Amino acid sequence: MKDFISVSPLRILEKSSHQRLGPGNLGVLVARAGVGKTACLIHIAFDKIFRQEKLVHISLEEGPEKVASYYNVIYYDLLKALNIEDDYEYRILMEKNRMTLAYLNQSFDLERLEANLKNLTERLDFKPETLIVDGLDFEKAEREVFEGLKKIALEFETEIWFSALSHRHITETNERGIPYPCDKFDDLFTIIIQLQPEQAGIFLKLLKDNDRYQIPENSIKLDPNTFLALS
Amino acid sequence: MTIEKTRNQKLTFNEVFQTVDEIQNLRNIGISAHIDSGKTTLTERILYYTKRIFAIHEVKGKDGVGATMDSMELEKERGITITSATTHCEWKGHKINIIDTPGHVDFTIEVERALRVMDGAVLILCSVGGVQSQSITVDRQMKRYQVPRIAFINKCDRSGADPYKVVDQLRQKLNHNAILMQIPIGLESKHSGVVDLVSMKALYFEGPNGDEIRVDEIPDTIIDEALARREEMLDAASMFSDDLMESIFEENVTSDLIYKAVREGTISRQLTPVFLGSAYKNIGVQAVLDGVNRYLPSPMDVKNVALDIDRDETEISLEIDPDKPVVALAFKLEVTPYGQLTYLRVYQGSISKGNDIIITRTGKKIKVGRLVRMHADQMEDLTSARAGDIVALFGVECYSGDTFTSGGMNYSMSSMFVPEPVISLSITPEDNKSQNNMSKALNRFIREDPTFKSYVDKESGETIISGMGELHLEVYVERMKREFNAEVATGIPQVAYREAITKHADFDYIHKKQTGGSGQFGRVAGFMEPSEEAAYEFVNKIKGGVIPTEYVPSVDKGFQSCLKKGLTLGFPVAGMKITVNDGKSHSVDSSELAFTQAAIGAFKQAYMRAKPVILEPVMKVSVEGPSEFQGNIMGSINQRRGLITSTTEDGNFTTIDAEVPLAEMFGYATVLRSLTQGRAEFTMEFQKYSKVPESLSEELKSNLRKKSKGEKKS
Repeated sequence: MKDFISVSPLRILEKSSHQRLGPGNLGVLVARAGVGKTACLIHIAFDKIFRQEKLVHISLEEGPEKVASYYNVIYYDLLKALNIEDDYEYRILMEKNRMTLAYLNQSFDLERLEANLKNLTERLDFKPETLIVDGLDFEKAEREVFEGLKKIALEFETEIWFSALSHRHITETNERGIPYPCDKFDDLFTIIIQLQPEQAGIFLKLLKDNDRYQIPENSIKLDPNTFLALS
Repeated sequence: MTIEKTRNQKLTFNEVFQTVDEIQNLRNIGISAHIDSGKTTLTERILYYTKRIFAIHEVKGKDGVGATMDSMELEKERGITITSATTHCEWKGHKINIIDTPGHVDFTIEVERALRVMDGAVLILCSVGGVQSQSITVDRQMKRYQVPRIAFINKCDRSGADPYKVVDQLRQKLNHNAILMQIPIGLESKHSGVVDLVSMKALYFEGPNGDEIRVDEIPDTIIDEALARREEMLDAASMFSDDLMESIFEENVTSDLIYKAVREGTISRQLTPVFLGSAYKNIGVQAVLDGVNRYLPSPMDVKNVALDIDRDETEISLEIDPDKPVVALAFKLEVTPYGQLTYLRVYQGSISKGNDIIITRTGKKIKVGRLVRMHADQMEDLTSARAGDIVALFGVECYSGDTFTSGGMNYSMSSMFVPEPVISLSITPEDNKSQNNMSKALNRFIREDPTFKSYVDKESGETIISGMGELHLEVYVERMKREFNAEVATGIPQVAYREAITKHADFDYIHKKQTGGSGQFGRVAGFMEPSEEAAYEFVNKIKGGVIPTEYVPSVDKGFQSCLKKGLTLGFPVAGMKITVNDGKSHSVDSSELAFTQAAIGAFKQAYMRAKPVILEPVMKVSVEGPSEFQGNIMGSINQRRGLITSTTEDGNFTTIDAEVPLAEMFGYATVLRSLTQGRAEFTMEFQKYSKVPESLSEELKSNLRKKSKGEKKS
């Protein structure tokens, strides 16, 4: 799947100083509703999976069957977009390198996540390099939640990617140019990326890279249908 | 035949069920759910309130009578329902045929059959356990057969009951657009009734058996909740009716408008109305019956099709018209002391006593002798049955899944999905008498259950039975003893391994024999390759008649004969595509036999070059238990070569979904019990065949070698 990695939306990180998020760090993809946050997160997941890295997808809204069906839809879209054949090996990679943890009916808490990750590591020898957290409500979540997640990232030596929902009518940003709802905890995130639909197409913009803000030449353009990076 | 209208009045069948209009008041429903959710308990109440029975007996009840629908002795003893018994009743001018279905996944074929002939279903959920793994399996089956359903959240009187959580699970886990039609009045030990969100009245079920419904005002403590939930319900229902939407704006909503909109949404399978209560405490059951009448479809609301075998299986729409030719499906067989009982769903036309009907599969004509309507294990004689109805015939020799017509057409109802058996067991009769009885029993079970198979292994001479799981086979062995007086000893369960090739391999084989007289000659050339599409595919690409057309079927036959026993370990071969593109014949020496032999030779020539591997059945396993045991459960799956795909946390429970080789699952129930203090349970169903790891493949080879050496010595 080298073809995919060359057009993965994670190419945005080529513009960052370390070219990656890295273990112990938090990254977030912020966008308005319906722009394609989940699709982009799943592309990030595929990028990791096809690099033979282990990944845990944490869903706070949907059950595992629905998560699996998102992955399947995007997988087949990818094959079509890249004009490559379905391959048993790719599916094995997905099966072996991806684990879904679903937390339904507000059953998510840090203690539980930590216990679940410990079970994965100790009982299954499944040590994830990346966690994808989909559906965490940034508007309601307290700062302690992100601090706790940062601790978990450090403890398990994993990077964590989130999606955050912004609103069309809330346009203010903090003094460092970080939009709502990430403006209150941007210090906890190593990478902040905005998914922005514009007239010329959909763009990924790097808003924060480690300690750098207001980064020049900070965007890449995505195919609006496939969310793959356009060269 | 008579149907009891009340305890004293009787109506004839024809009076009750006379015109096409009355078919609109007919409901054919299944009742499905996770094991122990209370299906049989609910059915027992339904029969009582509709005056089919006059006393309520509990599953595993102290009175020792057992629930009415659990008619088999074994069911009564174990407190589980094994075969689906049909029954019928009448509620507020509607006739309802009910099939009570088993909850355990090992008996899934029973659930599938019930769903095949049902127009609607009641999905029962436990208000404590919620949407459990078996509910997900059953729901998937309902989707496959496009069965509209209503839900009943049972056991609201139990400690830990949370029906609101279950509604959320219906939405999240099953993707249902679930809407509450009621809210509970009190929960756990305080559960005393329900609020009907359509009439906005409180319903209390009083009297010793909940027969008397007291309608009252909604208690002040829950009025706000009721108003909020009614608004949610109206919002969802209004999506299916412009009239209702308009009336909401104009604030003149009527009950009829709501019923119509919810019915529309339910029948189109875009809405699931949810009812609540406790069948055991006799709370809410009558409202479920009202829901069946109001929201589930009549046979006229459902499109049924048959396949015209003479026209390349073209789909033919069937009509609920008693004057049209008969099309009916045998969906269940049962042995009774008086002969074979065949359960039948009539889809088109009508069947009367004395009529001739034809079995499509055999073309055999049979005369309708005794026609009955079943009520658990009791029956009522009928003179006729018409489209939409479910009845039973006596003394008809047929198989489950057979289609009956009145002749002049070659229709078959679309075939039922029948999974392949994944486990087998050798059985040995303990004496001569048992030998005869065992044969009778096997003959009967094979006709009754397409997922149960039996054969004699040519090499060992042992009788082998195969099915869908340990419990499935265990129940048949038990039935042999109890119903047929056949004592049998069982061997160790064996997994149904397969062989499959992994690479393309060419063949070019000449079968030539000259032993005096006319010889044998045939050349077959082409290639074999793996196929994901089918178990076996034969592609004829022969050009210029190098293999004469009349010999091509023999070539196909030759290859097919090789699939029964692969050359690696002798397991059946699956997933192979054979393409024949060249060959040669001889005007005198070529024959069907010569080309069959040539194909066998070609298979042997190419098979090992096509890199065959051993495949094993892999089960989709779902384990549910308290979250504190997650680590133990994960460890136990990992030890069994299982691949965990997800875990779901919900409240204090965790569900672990995994793919585990069947060979590793024997005895898992005991292990799981001891790991979790008996607080976790699991279900499994066949998922796929997967390659056996190299080390295990070697072990299998060495075991087989040892076995064959042992056999040779003895």
